[in-house]
Amino acid sequence: MRSLNPACKFISLLAVTLLLAGLRNPWWNLAAFSASMLLLLLSGVRMRTLLLYLIPVALAAAGMFFTGYRFTADGSMPVRSDAFLQGSSNLLNGITQLSRVLAYAGLGYLFALTTDRVFMVRSFQKQLHLPQVFAYGLLAAWGIFPHMALEYRRTRAAFKARGIRVFPISPALLAPLLVKSVRWSEELSIAMESKGFSSDAERTESTPVHVHAKDAAFTAFCCIILPVTAMLLR
Amino acid sequence: MSILFDSLSFTYSDGLKPVIDGLNCSIDRSGITVLTGASGCGKSTLLYLAAGLYPENAGSITGGRVLIEGRDPAGLAPPQRCRLAGMMFQNPELQFCMDTVRNEILFCLENISVPPEEMDGRLHSALGFCGIEELEDRTLLSLSGGEKQKAALACIVAISPQWLLLDEPFANIDDESARAIASSLGRLHREKGIGILAVDHRLDSWMGIADTVLAMDGGRIMPERIDARDIDPARLESLGIIVPGRSYSPSIPVPSPGETVLELRDLSVRRGKEELLHGITASFRRGMAYAVLGESGAGKSTLFGALSGIFPYKGKALLEGRDLRHLRRREAGRIGFITQNPQDQFVGGTVRDEMLASLRNDPDAAGRSEEILRLIRLWRYRDISPYMLSQGQQRRLGTAALIAYDCRCLVCDEPTYAQDRRNTMAIMDSLCREARERGIALIFSTHDRQLAADYADEILMLKEGKLHAVAESSL
Repeated sequence: MRSLNPACKFISLLAVTLLLAGLRNPWWNLAAFSASMLLLLLSGVRMRTLLLYLIPVALAAAGMFFTGYRFTADGSMPVRSDAFLQGSSNLLNGITQLSRVLAYAGLGYLFALTTDRVFMVRSFQKQLHLPQVFAYGLLAAWGIFPHMALEYRRTRAAFKARGIRVFPISPALLAPLLVKSVRWSEELSIAMESKGFSSDAERTESTPVHVHAKDAAFTAFCCIILPVTAMLLR
Repeated sequence: MSILFDSLSFTYSDGLKPVIDGLNCSIDRSGITVLTGASGCGKSTLLYLAAGLYPENAGSITGGRVLIEGRDPAGLAPPQRCRLAGMMFQNPELQFCMDTVRNEILFCLENISVPPEEMDGRLHSALGFCGIEELEDRTLLSLSGGEKQKAALACIVAISPQWLLLDEPFANIDDESARAIASSLGRLHREKGIGILAVDHRLDSWMGIADTVLAMDGGRIMPERIDARDIDPARLESLGIIVPGRSYSPSIPVPSPGETVLELRDLSVRRGKEELLHGITASFRRGMAYAVLGESGAGKSTLFGALSGIFPYKGKALLEGRDLRHLRRREAGRIGFITQNPQDQFVGGTVRDEMLASLRNDPDAAGRSEEILRLIRLWRYRDISPYMLSQGQQRRLGTAALIAYDCRCLVCDEPTYAQDRRNTMAIMDSLCREARERGIALIFSTHDRQLAADYADEILMLKEGKLHAVAESSL
């Protein structure tokens, strides 16, 4: 999965997500989740990392299961639950909701954990014609995210040092952070420009990103074979 | 073969006083030139104009022109401009766009349309020149400040511009890295013929590699060209430049030590996996001034960050007998902090709000804030955001706001950073006077040993994670 063209991978996994949204079949969802986990492990993602990432997903899935299982509208409501039930029983309805969360999370992790961000941006730029100012701006912004946490702590400490109480997302606390973010983005943009980056100039590519046969095969499988199979099996 | 500033005038906003005012100067590529001067004198602005980054990104040229090798840099597209003049910035954190050193250098080469088959050769040659081959695949986030500046230098070597412009490149890195980079810059000039113009408010790191020192004041360059190998300290001092070893002649009252207000017992601070400070034990008394010395990266900001609650610590830090971690909200302000970057401490929406935040418990807060703002010459800016002030004005406001606050202990992280001699003396005189008169324990960090000797009652040295008392005579 790591060597697949990111643009092809993105389109393919998006197609599978849309397909699952229209199917309302828990077995397809569980199959997609299982396939995602298998592919993640085969791509070298460590089991421990995967389990950690799955903790919030499991909580959300459990929540959705009980929502589907327990809460249904009765005949006195203007909208009847029959119209929304995913299966013939509350249990099946719960499992359908749970499996959807697992499937979407699995597909999301499959993309996020097997895609290099620089490779992705290069591929989006080449294959999906993403404007380069947006692509490289995104990469630069990625680099400053880790500094935000420290800046947040610094700003809180400044208020504390004057005995001023602030809530974690108080506007008074966020205003200095906003000012700093703008200042940082200005500095970054000047630094990029000083290295010759221009939004409209032609650039060469150190490692051209191409679409290979395996990328086309994966895209065809996800965008054509899977939907056709799903339609035939309905 | 030069950078020419021809009757240049530049302003950040119409109606404001020009930052560069009719400046005439020619800087030759055959030597390394250092441009120095007080904070806010316009030296960084001049560098950005030479790099062609201004006026495109800020301000406007109101007269004259800048020519670099006979061409107007602002009129060139970035890919052509960067081959004429490369730029290295003060903050190593905010000059990269990619994830690894390799990708960053390739990004630069792609920008200037280097053919792909040549890229690997230029990449390895640049890494080799800067001696950072082992960093090729390291993520930029994992690098230290010094390594980041070396990576930034490797980017410039890969682009190979005709000029290299540096904006205080050693400000945020340790002394050893500064020496290594200074040595690489010297080689870059000698071996590749790249002209170097650097802006720095301290000259220490440039001694030995610079050829000429130019001093700037009030938007103009002084006509005198100082030979960097034969500097007259008295002449530099007369230009407002800090000269190592020259006394500041402080005018402050004699100390009258009171009781201990802050006590550190076996304090340890960890940043990531590394324990930067360990077993720090010290006590600080009312009415006394303490200087904390140490090389960049020794942990001064980490120590102050731990006291301000930014970094967790082990051991005890007791303010009037109570652990800082257990102070109630209204008690937290008993220890005040003046940060290296004044923007880190602003809490008010306007300059006046910033002062009022410190004077909340004063019945005559409005009158007193006006008095202080007039004293520090910021009354006319009272209704604008503190972020709109110049760096020097921000420093004055930050210092005055914290001095006005009713605290028992005032911790200042390099309060005179990037200030000229006159401002340095004004800031330190007022800090020490307030500390003496109001019985505050003043703790300040500095790189300037003379400043420590002149203003501190006790000098402490942070070395290898420990804090040692040192005698003034051993400095």
